[in-house]
Amino acid sequence: MATETPRPSLGLVITGAPYDSQAPQTALSFARAAIAQGARIQRVFLYSEGVQLASDLLQPPSDETNWHREWRAFLLEHRIPVTVCVASALRRGILDSSEASRFDKPAPNVTEPFCIGGLGDWVELLSADTQVIYFLGQH
Amino acid sequence: MKTLIVIDQPPYGSLLGRELMDMAFSLSAFDRRVDILFAGAGVNWLRDNHQPELLQQKNAAKNLSAAQIFGVERLLASTADLKRFQIDPGQLKYQVELVSEPVDNAYDHVVRL
Repeated sequence: MATETPRPSLGLVITGAPYDSQAPQTALSFARAAIAQGARIQRVFLYSEGVQLASDLLQPPSDETNWHREWRAFLLEHRIPVTVCVASALRRGILDSSEASRFDKPAPNVTEPFCIGGLGDWVELLSADTQVIYFLGQH
Repeated sequence: MKTLIVIDQPPYGSLLGRELMDMAFSLSAFDRRVDILFAGAGVNWLRDNHQPELLQQKNAAKNLSAAQIFGVERLLASTADLKRFQIDPGQLKYQVELVSEPVDNAYDHVVRL
């Protein structure tokens, strides 16, 4: 009896910001191709400048792709959890309603599916059966 | 699973080095095996007498002396890059192992940002 091949398990880490780097765009192309080939994406982790992708307030010109909106739709469609690293996010003004309230800010700019969390979510990805791939900004 | 964090960014002028350091300490906080390699301009982390107050910044290397207490197994530094930045290995205040060859193959996971 043939055994079923397990689906490859992936974790994606994005450290480049949209519109400053191509990292979120490249990561989305990769993610779409990986899903199409049967892979499972365990989690997307936004770190360093990559946290900018989570901001609801990104508003590129109308003839450019809104990478925040593209990623949001993709994450919701495939029910992929996404962590926005709290340390990277707060110092860059990326806050959900809880953090905005805690630090007495006038408004949040992070909503679901984007979720503020810690580096522990990245550490959890580092296991023998999950391949973690990094999409970097430019130095 | 053993992870190598490669810090190739200087301690000031960019947040990347500090964010790499945060990754290393997070791994050790979760009892994961982790070493740090200082390479390229990252060897400047190992200089003594940082004066971050001149930049109105915190001392980026403050936690480095306690890295092994926190659970980072080894601090490594590129011999060639120490030389390039004129840092005398004999004067390093941290317990650092010098490496002259690529070490990536000794690790399950290598992080560069």
